Amino acid sequence: MEATIKVDGLRKTYGSTVALDGMTFTVNPGRVTAFVGPNGAGKSTTMRVVLGLDRVDAGTALIGGRPYRSLRTPLRHVGALLDASALHPSRSGRDHLLWQAHSQRLGGKRVDEVLRLTGLADVGRRSAGGYSLGMRQRLGVAGALLGDPPVLMLDEPFNGLDPEGIRWMRGFLRALAAEGRAVLVSSHLMSELQDTAGHLVVVGRGRVVADTSVADLIAAASGDRVTLRTSARTEAMTALAREGATVAVTDRDTLTVDGLPADRVVVVLSGAGVPFSEVAAHRATLEEAYMDLTRDAVEFRAEPTEVAR
Amino acid sequence: MTGALHAEWTKLRTVAGPLWLVVGAAALTAALSVAAVAAAECPATGCGQDAVRTSLTGVQLGQAIVAVLAVLVIGDEYRTGLIRTTLATVPSRVTVLAAKGAVVAGATLAAAVPGVLGAYLAGRLMLPGRGFTAAHGYPPLSLTDGATLRAVAGSVLYLTLVALMSLGLAAAVRDAPTGVGTVLGVLYLAPVLITVVSDPDWEKRLRQLTPSNAGLSIQHTIGVADLPIGPWAGLGVLALWSAGALLLGGLLLRLRDA
Amino acid sequence: MSGFVGLLHAELTKFRSVRGWVIGCGLAVFLMLLFAGLAGAGNSHTGNGPGGGALPVGPDGTRVLDGLTLVHQPLDGDGSLTVRVASLVGSEPPEPPQDGAAPTAPERPAAPPTAAPEPWAKAGLIVKSGTAPGSPYAAVMVTGGHGVRMQHDFVHDTAGPADARWLRLVRAGGTVTGYASADGTAWTQVGTAALAAGEATAGIFVATPGHEEFDQYPGGASSIGGKVIATGTFDNLVIAGGRPGAGWETRAVANENDPQAPPLLSEHDGDTFTVQGSGDVAPATGGPGPKLEQTLVGSFAALTVVAVLGVLFVTTEYRRGLVRTTFTTTPGRIRVLAAKAVVLGAITFAVGLVASTGALLLGKAILGEDYGATVGTQVRLVVGTAALLAVAAVFALAIGTILRRGAGAVAAVVVLITLPYILSVAAVLPAVPAQWVLRLTPAAAFAVQQTLHVWPQVYQAYTPAFGYFPLSAWGGFAVLCGWTAAALAIAAVLLRRRDA
Repeated sequence: MEATIKVDGLRKTYGSTVALDGMTFTVNPGRVTAFVGPNGAGKSTTMRVVLGLDRVDAGTALIGGRPYRSLRTPLRHVGALLDASALHPSRSGRDHLLWQAHSQRLGGKRVDEVLRLTGLADVGRRSAGGYSLGMRQRLGVAGALLGDPPVLMLDEPFNGLDPEGIRWMRGFLRALAAEGRAVLVSSHLMSELQDTAGHLVVVGRGRVVADTSVADLIAAASGDRVTLRTSARTEAMTALAREGATVAVTDRDTLTVDGLPADRVVVVLSGAGVPFSEVAAHRATLEEAYMDLTRDAVEFRAEPTEVAR
Repeated sequence: MTGALHAEWTKLRTVAGPLWLVVGAAALTAALSVAAVAAAECPATGCGQDAVRTSLTGVQLGQAIVAVLAVLVIGDEYRTGLIRTTLATVPSRVTVLAAKGAVVAGATLAAAVPGVLGAYLAGRLMLPGRGFTAAHGYPPLSLTDGATLRAVAGSVLYLTLVALMSLGLAAAVRDAPTGVGTVLGVLYLAPVLITVVSDPDWEKRLRQLTPSNAGLSIQHTIGVADLPIGPWAGLGVLALWSAGALLLGGLLLRLRDA
Repeated sequence: MSGFVGLLHAELTKFRSVRGWVIGCGLAVFLMLLFAGLAGAGNSHTGNGPGGGALPVGPDGTRVLDGLTLVHQPLDGDGSLTVRVASLVGSEPPEPPQDGAAPTAPERPAAPPTAAPEPWAKAGLIVKSGTAPGSPYAAVMVTGGHGVRMQHDFVHDTAGPADARWLRLVRAGGTVTGYASADGTAWTQVGTAALAAGEATAGIFVATPGHEEFDQYPGGASSIGGKVIATGTFDNLVIAGGRPGAGWETRAVANENDPQAPPLLSEHDGDTFTVQGSGDVAPATGGPGPKLEQTLVGSFAALTVVAVLGVLFVTTEYRRGLVRTTFTTTPGRIRVLAAKAVVLGAITFAVGLVASTGALLLGKAILGEDYGATVGTQVRLVVGTAALLAVAAVFALAIGTILRRGAGAVAAVVVLITLPYILSVAAVLPAVPAQWVLRLTPAAAFAVQQTLHVWPQVYQAYTPAFGYFPLSAWGGFAVLCGWTAAALAIAAVLLRRRDA
């Protein structure tokens, strides 16, 4: 089976609230696709639709080309983590996985394997009601891995994890993608997915705002800006402005230069005899790139709303 | 205490569920009474029936709804985890339970008064058409009659006490469905048990001690002297049950982690 | 199909891995036993209720009344009897007993009794294999209000002409045939009965049930009555096939322990016999008083427990969002509902079987008798109660799925099943509405616990207040099944339509 999630033109309204407004994107194998957007942008609804839990007014969502509801043993095709707290508190973590395994004709052996994979082997037999949020997230991931599926879909898996847990989760997701799986991870905090996601689907108000690779996005957001550290701020600004650059003060001794590449900046400053301690090509963080995007998204969204009224 | 009371009242009125339960309890109490009155008949003089009691049959159904209302007041908080917020804002368990009790009693009265009055009106208006006429020894029901007034007002009190007992049991079991099951088991099992016990001593004991049987003796208007337990004493037995349940609930609330 | 087995396995794992639910199953068993003990103890002082004591047992094991006055002679083989019943009258019923005193047998009437006979007073011909109470017989008779009847072995009853006065019994081999005639010349066959060939006794008999008036009041029911005496006048008595030279002997067949044994009277005046009798030849009925099903009264408690279990089995999933995980593992929601129903039904059936078997055995041990219920009936009681609990649990599951809220669902299930039972059986409602309630509501299912049999040939208030359900055991059970099927159908539609 093809390891993809294809979402095409999903539309869903709750009364007068539009939850999904033509949501369209594809998740491909071999990389972690980040599914980001502010709270209420439609991330969880989309995932529920993909899993056949919610109905849509229009559009299709296919896993490897098939609708979820047509899958006989779905956990062998898709593993999903929606809400880590969806547990019966007096059932043990192992039993929670066991009933899911039984529904897929899997046995206790596989349950013990995924417990080990997620580091829960020691606590599996304790009541899940006593689990910390981090342990519940791990249990949820363990459930998603039960059927060893080619497609994984995790809703906010970083919620409640401690720094150690976040690092573990990042590595784990990268490793799963490296095995050739399609991994879709939603988050409302971009920083969590730094160095993890290879692809990005940004959503706002029920539709896709950007669908791009992370490398392209960061390159676009970085532009050809240069960060300059100098003790002679005024002299540096004058010299660079004379060469046609736009200079902004970022800090007491830091300037951001736009319009000149780093090597030209060094030549100009050296020629003018301005002292400097550091010149570096600016690299935007994923967070910054994302903020740029969503800011655009808000502006982009404002107009049609006005027209609609 | 005033603050806690106000908080509980705000909690109750800001969700839709309790309002519907209040309306439902009133409506179903009156509805079952209408059905029972419509089914009753008094073909001849001295048919031996207690017309007031027949009119108040709806309380048998109303008590279930009232129990759900009371159980949810505490069970819903355990369901949502809200109980921790409640106990963080009002750390005294006794105050919380007392405030909840006051609010539950108020809500139950709001359901019981119209419900029981509706039942009474059903009897007053419909019973003469079913043969309960003055000629057969049944003047129309009237609240100026002491026994009738006692039965009607007592039914309202009965429902309120049932609600308080439910609240106490719910605080003890901490789970709404289990709480409703427990309350309804206590209320409905006794009358069934009485139909199978033929030993007069046992029967008398059951009628005296079980909350629904003892409590509902308040509805009797004829043959009161022959009852195993008097109307007010019977209601008193129910009140003891309610007090015991609240005590148990309060004690467990204090002893257990939230 | 193998997918469904996996689904069943998954739901079974879900159920058994929540400790509270397993404890709930144990609680159901415990409550059944506890209430069986209570019901037993609450009845143990009343071994001699109405119709109580050691009743004789009929040929098929049914407890019977066998009180009649017999004027008979031996009939060793084939033969026939013919008689005309000139009249059948009753005595005035006794005054209702005061302050619960036991009704007393009336003095022998000084004047010839002239009151109308009880509708089921009997005077006629009988061939009986012996005079021991409960022994097989075949009889054709004139009754007080139901015309000519052919009855045999207590439980069988066939109607004949309404106005015939001439009766004939013909015994040939193992068969007895009854005839009736208005004029003694044109005979019509009323019915036939099997009666083992060989020594028997044959003759005329008179019997009558007591006069009873049944009353119900909110919270209970009562029957007031007492013995009456019926007097039958016979003439034209002819026997063929009797022993040569044998004469007519009078004898009372009665329950040995009956303190109110009928006064024995028979006068033989030329061709005319005047015979007085009381007691009845009929199956015993229950009415008020202990019954075997009372040992299962705990099923109301167990029902409440399984209702909570059934509701929780689905609503806990809704309340924790677990239902999404379930529907993610199994997108076919109807299949999930079906698997839940099967697993829950199987578990509660097994629990119910253990509980009701234990309760019945314990109750019987405490009561010290089984009220004449046959093994088949007892098996039906136990299996029926278990099935009732299982279906009620599935009903609760369906209601829980529809409402998605545990508290409301539990209240709905308990109120729908238990309250109609209380309103009708505890006689809050008059008889006719009570019967309709027990035909239409899920409470009808408690008919599976009924040991009482409706005998058309016995006058009795066959109403819920006296323990008689309007529907047959499995008919009543089917009503609950119907409600459950409807609730499941609604739940299935809603599951399909709703977002998880």
